[in-house]
Parts: sequence; structure tokens; C-alpha cells
Amino acid sequence: MTIHPDPSSEARLGALDRIGEIGYPTKRDEAWRHAPHRALGELTFGPPVAPGIGVPAELDNQIPVLEGPRVVVVNGSVDASLSNLAGLDGLRLSSLAEVLAERPEQVAAHFEQGDSGIADVFVALNVAYGADGAVVQVADGVVLDVPIHIVDVGLPAAAQNATCTGVLIDIGVGSSATVIETRVGAGSEFGGSNIRTTIALADDSTLEHVLLQDVPSVQVHLSRVDVTQRAGSVFKARSFNLGAAYGRIAYNVQLAGTGAHADLSGLFFGFGDQTLDQQVNVVHAAAGCTSRQTYRGVLDEESTGVFNGGIDVRPGADGTDAVQSNDNLLLSDRAAINTQPRLEILADEVACKHGATVGQLDETALYYLRSRGIAADEARRLLINGFADQAVDDVGIETVRAWIIHRLGHDHA
Amino acid sequence: MLHVENLTAAIGDKPILKGVDLDIGEGEVHAIMGPNGSGKSTFAHALAGRDGYEIGGVATLDGSDLLEMTPEQRAAAGVFMGFQYPVEIPGVNNMYFLRTALNSVRKARGETEVGARDFLAVAKQAMELVEMKQDFLDRAVNAGFSGGEKKRNEILQMAVMEPRLAVLDETDSGLDIDALRIIASGVNALRGPDRSMIVITHYQRLLDYIKPDFVHVLVNGKIVQSGDHTLALHLEDHGYADFVNHDLDDAPEKPLTGAPS
Amino acid sequence: MSEATREIEELTEASYEFGFSTDLDTDVAPPGLDEEIVRLISAKKDEPEWLLEWRLKAFEAWQAMEEPDWAKLDIMPIDYQAISYWAAPKQKPVLDSMDDVDPEIRDMFDKLGIPLHEQKMLSNVAVDAIVDSVSVTTTFKATLAEAGVIFCSFSEAVQDYPELVREHLGSVVPVRDNYFAALNSAVFSDGSFCYIPKGVRCPMELSTYFRINSQNTGQFERTLIVAEDDSHVSYLEGCTAPQRDENQLHAAVVELVAKDRAEIKYSTVQNWYPGDENGVGGIYNFVTKRGRAHADAKISWTQVETGSAITWKYPSVILQGDRAVGEFYSVALSSKRQQADTGTKMIHIGKDTTSSIISKGISAGNGQNTYRGLVKVMRSAENARNYTQCDSLLLGKDCGAHTIPYIEVKNPGAQIEHEASTSTVGEDQLYYCRQRGMTEEDAMSMIVNGFCREVFNELPMEFAVEAQRLLSVSLEGSVG
Ligand SMILES: Nc1ncnc2c1ncn2[C@@H]1O[C@H](COP(=O)(O)OP(=O)(O)O)[C@@H](O)[C@H]1O
Ligand SMILES: [Mg+2]
Repeated sequence: MTIHPDPSSEARLGALDRIGEIGYPTKRDEAWRHAPHRALGELTFGPPVAPGIGVPAELDNQIPVLEGPRVVVVNGSVDASLSNLAGLDGLRLSSLAEVLAERPEQVAAHFEQGDSGIADVFVALNVAYGADGAVVQVADGVVLDVPIHIVDVGLPAAAQNATCTGVLIDIGVGSSATVIETRVGAGSEFGGSNIRTTIALADDSTLEHVLLQDVPSVQVHLSRVDVTQRAGSVFKARSFNLGAAYGRIAYNVQLAGTGAHADLSGLFFGFGDQTLDQQVNVVHAAAGCTSRQTYRGVLDEESTGVFNGGIDVRPGADGTDAVQSNDNLLLSDRAAINTQPRLEILADEVACKHGATVGQLDETALYYLRSRGIAADEARRLLINGFADQAVDDVGIETVRAWIIHRLGHDHA
Repeated sequence: MLHVENLTAAIGDKPILKGVDLDIGEGEVHAIMGPNGSGKSTFAHALAGRDGYEIGGVATLDGSDLLEMTPEQRAAAGVFMGFQYPVEIPGVNNMYFLRTALNSVRKARGETEVGARDFLAVAKQAMELVEMKQDFLDRAVNAGFSGGEKKRNEILQMAVMEPRLAVLDETDSGLDIDALRIIASGVNALRGPDRSMIVITHYQRLLDYIKPDFVHVLVNGKIVQSGDHTLALHLEDHGYADFVNHDLDDAPEKPLTGAPS
Repeated sequence: MSEATREIEELTEASYEFGFSTDLDTDVAPPGLDEEIVRLISAKKDEPEWLLEWRLKAFEAWQAMEEPDWAKLDIMPIDYQAISYWAAPKQKPVLDSMDDVDPEIRDMFDKLGIPLHEQKMLSNVAVDAIVDSVSVTTTFKATLAEAGVIFCSFSEAVQDYPELVREHLGSVVPVRDNYFAALNSAVFSDGSFCYIPKGVRCPMELSTYFRINSQNTGQFERTLIVAEDDSHVSYLEGCTAPQRDENQLHAAVVELVAKDRAEIKYSTVQNWYPGDENGVGGIYNFVTKRGRAHADAKISWTQVETGSAITWKYPSVILQGDRAVGEFYSVALSSKRQQADTGTKMIHIGKDTTSSIISKGISAGNGQNTYRGLVKVMRSAENARNYTQCDSLLLGKDCGAHTIPYIEVKNPGAQIEHEASTSTVGEDQLYYCRQRGMTEEDAMSMIVNGFCREVFNELPMEFAVEAQRLLSVSLEGSVG
């Protein structure tokens, strides 16, 4: 690990101090059991690399084309020429660096994580170095129909192969919005991106947050999404963990207000020797909240899938209703899945359920399709696609759905 | 035997029963009818002693104050309630449940407990009454039962418990015609000079099979009309519109004009 | 708070029915643990050299190991030097006839409801009774001998069947397996040994009762069951300990070997002293139980855990042979300040192996109940199957339920299903039962027993009745 001092604010300096103290996670850390510890140690972090590199043309067909507000971050810095920061009514879209310079109090919470908020060294690194990125601020009482697109591009260089990006999303009282985060990269160099998104949902607000992780298979990708939900708010997370040698998407959702609802669904689809890791923790800290976790894994070739999902019901969170499921298809005899659906319940009158399955394609269904004249391979493909596409169905916006189907190669059926 | 006077029930500060008066004599069958949400089930629960209501007024069975008693004491005193929504108790064997219930009541009354063999004989008889198969008793209480099976199980329990007062809450709802006939004939077989019944329904249909001695109409927490079984026929033709459209606090206590005789 | 919830709280504050202490003359070693104590234990038992070596190796391993980090447990640090590692009732441990048994010990077993007298014996149950660390007597020896079954105390086995012991001891739970297994291997005092020859169906249920009697002694038994090809045995284990205001340590190791087509059914009803409402006293129960199932063999663990201040226990099956079957049925109750962290590990190695897990956790009072399980399917385990169901029942608002299953699959032919749910006893269920005349206490006990039905069904009859009673007693209390 290389440390470049730079951070300007106290909170960020403090995080820099903690890095050495915390150290890298090991196999004994529950949340990092299946991570490639050696590769993580080879990432070199530092302040954002100056923009101006542009986005390689090869990425054109990896990034969904969406009209409307857009922030493009290249190696941790916003590229203004590729972005469309013109806000809409009730939406203010800015680069994080700009907000940090001009109105830092508005992003203070993103950086002032406190010791307990710094769950691991990568959060600390992100607090220290993730000084640019996107800030999405939606005023009270606004309904945005157009999705906001945040694109992160990682182009690792030998000197510093890992970048940090920060994303903040604030949704005002009673408002609703959709944010798509696309994470891509280029090149055949080893490297990584460490992206942290903090989301605050005010009373009765709604956010659909789509996360597409599709970085090159030589890279390491670390996503962390921290969500705080106030009363009556609705958070929908849709994650597609597809790229990277090690692709990690972690959610930490705090249901802090009565009657809040979190609905997380995700697909991880691995090939080669990829490890795709989902770490999901939903904390029921207030009464009468509901949560759903629906994760699907398809593991082919030598890939490994990880699902570590928790439902954590705190004292006083009476009337909790939480359901979690993780269903997996193993397609090759060298693929592996490690799934750990956890329930921790310290409240009364709760209804919690979780389930996990590992299996193969349904023989009867295969037979059924073949008896209708579909060739065995084609029938298999149909069933696999059908399994995976159920995760895609949860995405609200048609163009995004279509793009994911396209990316999965499922659109020529 | 049952005397109810100005009985009120509220949940929180929401009044549900607003002063019910009802007297039931030995061996009588009373039907209570009324639209959805009028308080019929609440009335039944008030007699059976469910938690969570603020109760006011008077309810005595054979002179003893029901309202002072816990649910199990009321059961021992002879109150049996057939639930509108019988409760599922996974893992608890139906027969074991019923025997424990019977013996609890007998014990509370200072009677000897019934042994396994004698109980089986009692249960068999009761099962014939509701045309149930033996395996019914081996399943867990109501768990995975169809709607009709649950209702038949309630009548089976009534047959075994031999109550003084049976309160049957919508025992007819969700039944096909055969099941309805089975249940009705079961109930009729259990009618007797020392057993009174309150039959709650909102269809007249059941009353074709179980002829009530009296019919009461409960609307918005009050009995707004009482009469003989012909009142039920009137309701069949006219619905509850006559009652619900009026200012109920001033509902007339006289028989309806134009009721068929 | 509702009527029912309050009642539940009262119900669960039951006092420990078996908390008496029998006044036995006991021969106790001074507290503390070093190589000398290990040698002393071995010498007291007149053990062969190889076993002493084995113990010393374990002791060395233990010293180098770190005490586990107590994830979910709220635990007082254990001072291993304050514990006495050897205690024997002062009399010759092994007796020939029932009549020779110390009347006080007999009395104690009577109080426990374990009739040791031949005439009072549960029909067809052979009992090996272990008080503190020494096996007091084994009944029905003759009948068993006729069938060729060996059932004796571990010490006797070491003397009489050294080859069998040597071959299998540590073959399933190696000395370094974990901290407590290493400790046990170094200092184990006695336990039961059971050997079923080829093709023999053991003519009766075998049973062991464990009881910790002396203060500040740890109990470290070692149980080894070997079932040869095509044999069958059902083994029962019961436990009690007197009420003490200091924690006592119990660290047993149980090893099961089921050879081809053999079947071992191991049932436990554990009722160690749980400590009082304030968490004072009680047994720390850290047990390693594991079986190895060869081809077509079946190992089935059934446990009802109502006692101990802390239970830390994961009866496991290594499904080594093709078509081997592993089962785990568990009821764990934690009330007062009890903490139970229990579950199982099913390691699928052979082809077509199947395992099923049914776990019922009940939390009441301030109890914390954790299911922690691992289902691991190795690459070699073609076509492995697992079904897991974990249900938790919460009685009251100050308790907790935790379900932490690990599923690790490396073979695409595997079919794994895990289901879990958490619920409370419904007010409507209680009311329904009370409307039918049952007291609230009876209703509660009936509903909780119903919740555990699938597990109780797996227990041999006498044990099922006992388990049901224990559960009711543990939930019962000041009411009525
Ligand atoms: N637990 C409850 N909390 C609040 N209101 C209730 C509850 N139970 C019943 N009620 C209300 O009381 C009224 C009477 O209900 P009920 O006695 O079930 O009617 P019926 O059986 O005649 O359909 C309804 O308005 C119903 O919504
Ligand atoms: Mg009703």
C-alpha cells in the first residue's frame, strides 16, 4: 500500500491516520472471508489523478446511453466535458470536488464517518482520497422521471493503480428519483476502484438505485453503499455484479424511521475465475419497517460467488417484517458458492424469514423444453437466462432493463 | 341462563359494542345477524374473554359474572366459542389438544379426568357427527386445514366439550352446501334442553338448517331489532339497508312494517 | 405489555429442579493444570504409555492454542488454573453388582429420576453413570456381552480393549481440532466406550448419565462409539449438575465411527444447571461431537438443550463414504441469562451423500440463542443433498435469536436448501387454547412443545417424554 498525503479536511486526515491502525482485512474477518487478500494488498491508492484522459472508445458499448443528467468520473475525477451537470427542476447535480470546496457542510456527513462508521480500511481510504465524484441533491416534494446517470471509469496506471470515488445522494421529503451507477474500466493492467455511495432518504421519499458493475476482469472492484432511511421512505437497490476478478458490492442499510421499506435485489453472474461477493446488511432500528433481499447467483467455469446477507433486528424494532433469499445456480464442476444468510433478532413480534438454495437447472423443465423441439443447449440457455432475468425485471426503467439484457447477451433469444 | 345488559366493548378509544342487551333462556337458540364490521365477532369475544377490549356492562352465565373471569374460567363455566377464524397451532396433535382441553375443564370443575381410551370413544362419536375421518385427529390443530375442515373441527370440539353456552361465530362462512349441511346437522344434534346457543351469521342460509328461536340484528354495535326466525327471511330479501341508513341511535324498537309473516 | 408477554416472563423464571448437591466423599486433585497433572491423571488411571504420550501431545498443542474468540457469547474469562482436573468419588469406581453401589449415589440418581436399581430400570436401557469424572457403574453388562456389544467406561476400555481404543481415539476429532478438544484430550478423566461388532443390532438402547458434583471441578469426558459394518446402535446421553454460584466447566469430546452400512443414533437431553436469573453460576458447556460416516452409513444427532449457562456445541457429521447420511435434530432453549450457540456441520465428501438439519431455537427471558451451522460440499461430493430448516421462537422482548448458517458448495451437482423463520407465540394461539379451558401456562407449554414436535419425534420414547417434561419445567415457574 502506498500512501500519498493530500487530504484537506480534518475528517479526511483523520481517516488517513486510521489506515495504518486498521490494516488490511484477513480471512478471519467474516466480511472478507472469500476476498483475494494478496491482490487487495497490491492496490496502490492516492488522491485523484488529474482528468483529461478521456474515455477510451472501447467503452462506448459498455456504458448505457441515457439522455439527461450525467456525471462521468474518470480515475476518481469528474470529467466535465463528458458530464451533463445541468440540473432539472428540484435537482442539483454537482461534482463532489466542487461541493467540497464551496459548501463543504453539505457533504460533511459523507466524510465524518466516526470510528464506528469506518468499517474497514477501504472505507478509510475512500474517506481520505475520495474527494471527487458526484453529489445528487433532490429538493423536497419533487418527482423526477428522468434517471440520473453516474459513470465511473477506472483506467489503472502503473504508478497508482487504484482510485477512490465518492457519491452522495440526498432525496428530500416526499420526493422520488432514480439513480443509475455504471462502473466500468479499460485496459489489461491490474488495478482497482473503491467507490463509496452514501444515501440519505428523508421522510416518505423513494429512490431506485441501480448499480452495474462491469469493470475488466483483471481489476478489483469495491463498492460500498451506506443508506439511511427515515420514516416511510422506500429504497430499491438493483445490483448487477458482473465484472472484475474480484467484484464486491456491499450494502449497509439503516432503517431508522418507522415504516421505512428497503427492497434489495441483485444478480451476480460469474465466469472465468471471477469472485463475485455480495455483502448485504439491513438493520431494522425502528418499528414497523419491512425489508426484502432477493439475490440470485449464476456461477460458471471456475467462478466463485459469495452472499453474506444479514437481517439485524435491533431492540425496539417491533413489528419488523423481513425476508431474505439467495438462490444460486452452479453451472460448472469447478464453480463454487458460499452463502451465508444471517438473522439476528433482538426485538419482539417480528416475522423474519430467510432462505438459500443451491441447485442446477430443473431437469423437468429442460425435458419439457426439449420435448417441444428445443435443442438441449438452447434449452439450458433459456432456463439460465430465465433465472437471471428475473433480477432484471425488478429494474423500473425500460431502457436500463434493455441494456442489462443486452449486456448479459440475453437479447438474441 | 345468559344475561347481558348494556354490554360495551371498545378498542383503544374506538367504541365497537355500544350497549348490547340480550337474555337467553335454557335450551334456546339465538341467531345474531348483521353486516360486516357491525361487532358480531366482538360480541362473541367479549363473552369468551379475549384480551384487548375495554369492557363495560354486565354479562352473567347462570348467575355468575363472566366478565370477572379469565378465558379458561369461562370455558370451565361452560362457554364454548366456535371461532370465525380458527387458530393454527403447528406441531400440536389435534386429539391431544382436545383431550387436554376437556380434562382442563373437568379438572377446573372438580371432575375426574378422562383416560385415553374413554376419550377415544368420545372423540369417535363426535367425529361421526361431523363426518370426519380418523386421520383428522392425528394432524396438528388446524394446521393446513381447509376452511371447511377448520369449521368442522370447531363443531367437533364443541361436541366433545359439551358446553352450557355455545357461541358459533360465522361457522357457515366459506362452506359449500354439503359442508354446511354437515355442520348444521352436527349443531342440531347437539341442541338440547341444557344447552343454549348463539349462532352468528350474516347469511340467512344457515338458518334454513338451524331454526333459531330468536333472531337479533346487530348494526353498528347495537341490537337494533329482535324477532323470530321470520326476521331472518326479511333480511334475506331486503338486506340491512333498512337499518344502516337510519340514524342508529334512534333505531325503532318495534317490529318492521311489511315483514312477511 | 400484553398479559401474555408478562406471563411468559413469569413462566420462564423457573427454578432448577435438579439443583441439589449430594454429600459424597470426593477425591479431588488440587486446582491447576500443568504437565504434572496430566501425568497424575494418567497414573491414577493406570494408563499405558501410549495414552500418556497422546495426552502430553494434546497438552502441548493446547498450550500453543488460543482460546476461541467468543463471537456472540457474553462470557466471564475462564481461569484454567483455578479448575481442578480430577475428582473421583472416594470408593472403588467399578463395581460388580448393583448392590455394591454407594447408597448415596443411588439416592442421587433416584432424585435425578434415573433408576439405577435393576428392578427400577427403564426397560431395555443399559446405563453407564458418570459422576464428576468417574464412571460409577454400568448396568446390563451381561446381556450386552451376549450380543458381543462392548459397553463400558472409557477407563475400562483402555485396560481391556486397548487396541480398539488406540485405533479410533482421535480419529474423528484430532487432538488439535479446537481449544477444548485439545484440553479434553490432555485431561479427560473417563467416559463411555461402546463397540458394536459387525452385523449386530444392539439389543437395547445404551445410555449414559453425566453429573458434575464437586465444586470447582471441570468435567472432561470422552465418549467413543464404534459401529462396525452393518451394525446398529441407539445411544442416549443425559446430563445434570447441582446448583453452584460459580461457573463450572464441562468440555467433553464425543467421537462416532459408523463403518459401512452402520447406523448410529445419538440422542442427548442436556439439563446442566443454567445459573440463576442474574447469570450467577451455571455450567459452561463446550463440547466437541463429531461422527464419521462411511459408505451407506447413517449418523443421526438429536439433542434437547435446556440447561447450561453457556452452550457451545456443534455435533457434526463427516459424510465420507458414498451415500452416507447425516442428520441433526435440535431443540435449544435459552431463558434467564443463558446463551446457547449451537448447530451442526455437515461435511459432504462422498457421492450421493445427504444431510438434513432441523433446528428449533427458543429464546425466553434474557436468553440468547444462536444457530450456527455449516454445510460444506466438497468437489468430490457428486450429487450431494442438504435440507436445513431453522425455526426460532421468541418468548418476550429481552431475548434474542440469531441464525448464522454457512453454505459452501464446490460441486455443481449439489442441491442445498436452507429455510429459516422467526416467530413469537401468537396471542391468538394462547387465547384459542384458553377458550378451550387450558391455563395460560399449559397453553404456552403445549404450543412450545408443538413447535419442537419434529425434533421430539426423533427421540426414543422415554427420552421424548423426559424432554417434553424438561421443556415444560424450564418454562414453568412461579405461576400457579
Ligand atoms: N383489533 C382491532 N382493532 C381495531 N378495530 C377492530 C379490531 N377488531 C375489530 N375491529 C373493528 O371493530 C368493528 C367490529 O368488528 P367485528 O366484531 O369483527 O365485526 P363483525 O364480526 O360483525 O364483522 C369493525 O369496525 C372492526 O374493524
Ligand atoms: Mg366477524
